[in-house]
Amino acid sequence: MKILRITPRGMEPVGDSLLPIVDALKEKRDHLAKNPVDNLVALFADFADRLLRDSRTKSLEGCMFLSAWLGSNNLRQLLEVNLNGNPAYLDGFVPQGRNYLAAKPQGLAAMWMAGNVATLPMFSLIPAILAKNVCLVKLAYSDPEGMDRLLAVLAESQANKLQGADLLDAVAVVWFDYNNQELNEQMSLAADVKIIWGGAQAIKAITALPRREHCTEIIFGPKYSIGVIDREKLQTQPEKIDETVAAFVRDIAIFDQRACSAPQTIFIEHNTSLSLHEIGELFAKHLAKLPPKPGLDPYTTMRIVNVRAAWALDQAKDVIASSDGANWTVCLDHEVSLKEAVQSRTIFLTEIDSWQQVIPLLSPKVQSVGIAFGDQKQALAFAEAATASGVARCVRPGLMNNYESPWDGKLLVNQLVRWVTLKP
Amino acid sequence: MFDHSVSIEQQVDALIRGPQYAMRQAVKDTLLTSILRELCQEIGRNCPPYARFLQRLGRSPADWRGLADLPPLPVSMFKQFILAAVPPEKVVRQLLSSSTSGQQPSRIVIDKTTAFRQTRALASILKEHIGGHRRPYLVLDVEESAAAGDTLTARGAAIRGVGNFASETVYGMKKLPDGDLTTDWPRVEDFFHRHAYEPVLLFGFTFILWTRFVEEAEHRGIKFQASQAQLLHSGGWKKLVAQAVSKEEFTRRTSDVLGCEPGAILDFYGMVEQVGTVFVDCEAGHKHAPAFADVVIRRPHTLEPVEVGETGIIEVVSVLPTSYPGQVLITEDQGVLIGVDDCPCRRLGNYFLFIKRIEQAEARGCGDTFAQSREI
Repeated sequence: MKILRITPRGMEPVGDSLLPIVDALKEKRDHLAKNPVDNLVALFADFADRLLRDSRTKSLEGCMFLSAWLGSNNLRQLLEVNLNGNPAYLDGFVPQGRNYLAAKPQGLAAMWMAGNVATLPMFSLIPAILAKNVCLVKLAYSDPEGMDRLLAVLAESQANKLQGADLLDAVAVVWFDYNNQELNEQMSLAADVKIIWGGAQAIKAITALPRREHCTEIIFGPKYSIGVIDREKLQTQPEKIDETVAAFVRDIAIFDQRACSAPQTIFIEHNTSLSLHEIGELFAKHLAKLPPKPGLDPYTTMRIVNVRAAWALDQAKDVIASSDGANWTVCLDHEVSLKEAVQSRTIFLTEIDSWQQVIPLLSPKVQSVGIAFGDQKQALAFAEAATASGVARCVRPGLMNNYESPWDGKLLVNQLVRWVTLKP
Repeated sequence: MFDHSVSIEQQVDALIRGPQYAMRQAVKDTLLTSILRELCQEIGRNCPPYARFLQRLGRSPADWRGLADLPPLPVSMFKQFILAAVPPEKVVRQLLSSSTSGQQPSRIVIDKTTAFRQTRALASILKEHIGGHRRPYLVLDVEESAAAGDTLTARGAAIRGVGNFASETVYGMKKLPDGDLTTDWPRVEDFFHRHAYEPVLLFGFTFILWTRFVEEAEHRGIKFQASQAQLLHSGGWKKLVAQAVSKEEFTRRTSDVLGCEPGAILDFYGMVEQVGTVFVDCEAGHKHAPAFADVVIRRPHTLEPVEVGETGIIEVVSVLPTSYPGQVLITEDQGVLIGVDDCPCRRLGNYFLFIKRIEQAEARGCGDTFAQSREI
């Protein structure tokens, strides 16, 4: 058996072909489309409540944010942003003057997930279901990493006579080896829309698969994120620096800094209030308060040990590192560059004269910038320049990993529907 | 034997000259820590980058209670920095790692004292495994790998080191026009013909030995009757692991080609950053640390030393180097600590197995490690 299916009951082998699964999903398209979007939102709100109460999910990393994100106010706002201010387009034609406009599902949404965030599949799956697409989700690892538990709680959720278990008939979560060309092709050819999350190699391989002419691809590719703290913040709001650093440390800690939105390099404008080393010590103080990491692979350990040594040996650099193994590392320098990310609580702090020096480093490869500016005019000027260079988000520290719409410059639900017109 | 009133140099010399596997681990740990407390600080005084490293990342040398307390320098730093603790005029040779895939090689500066110690130390270790007498020596490599000059590669250093036991040296490979190596079969056959039934010594770099000699001999149907041959080999298992060749299979098929006992094939673990310090397989197949060196296997994440039976990252410790900070090095290899003081071969101290090079973990997601130079 080459395919494992992840269900609320756990994992089960389901054969060597995806075609029976695809056929079963297509049969559910009409049934799913008949659910009013309000019922879907209500069901997900019930799911959100259960997530934090249920012992199977409440301790999953990222579960608290997922629960908040699934809240009905947030989902309604997300739908409004995505659907010209009116989610009712999902339920049928809405008058537009003498004419009508509706948002129909694309059909089957095929999703290739990255393996870095246990809750990530939900941020892809929920928008796809809200857009009333049947969903075929491929996980990165045979270990479901909590997805089975999330599905179990979703299956038990209910609202307005809609049962989560019924909704899940329109969803198949599977795993097969990423090298299996035949199954990847089956999945790609079944798709009306492909959603691809992952690193450069995965993106290249999956976009190279054959697909139907109408099939669109939505890519959440490899990204790098940074932070910027301006001089004004450091000089005029010194009492708030501790808070700012604590917020950046939360962004660093979550998902072991492997998410595309996690800061890797933080640029700090030279100031008269705190030296680079003093700011490094502040980061160290907050990093030291974090609970120990659950574990670390030897490769990442080696990268941490290497970067610590390289920064320690270099006269122009400095390093502050945890004494308890490879737990956290703060690397300090003055070289205006995006440092090769080591991840796993390794942050590079680079002192600069002005945020303007950062702009030439930015490109669409840089996704999020955590901005801690005391001067709001400067913050706006930075955001204008950064987003013009390709950056997708400029957000306060502490919010960097908060998944929102738009993400990577895309309104996901909008791209998961077909806009159709009626002119009677 | 180890009077602490004598100088560090005298203590190191005594360790090199003395028996290599006769010291209990606890005694050795205390002794080497005491020597390294002085030696590392001395190196730091003459090598400012290393002084910074000790000051920024280690605990104070006064607080070093055992070898596991010493801050290990990653071997890869010798690729990024020239780390010298002697002035240029004292450098007698530079050792270079075999750089693969266009990487920057490690550069190790050697002074006269270090060079002398390396030669003596290697001889002292090998003597305990293969005996002290000289014998005909077949190098399964080309002569230019060990050519004299200002620089020497890891392969060259090993060939020369083992050569101290040679009564006659024959190089059994030649270079093809495209630069590739191939076995010079007539020369090898002549060597075994002339020394039939005599004890002979062979050395080869593991991957070269396997692909250019063993596999080729099997392909040609060549088998020798070198029942008294001893083969030492060292170096990259990575490519053999990629070919799914285990150490057992390597030993079985190589001994079959040579016609010697599998126990006469000895793998040793060592690196250009610590030439002279090698960890040789015993009859039980375990790698042992000699008297003047040790191994600390550390857990990923906590970097604490592992318990017996546990796998971790290999750190090698040696008191040989005087010209560079190569005393305590954390490698990019994984090993398992098999035991302490209780190997069936009766050698004392830590003994371990090399497992594999640390490989890149599967990319886990959308966060890009982002090599700026490649991507922008």
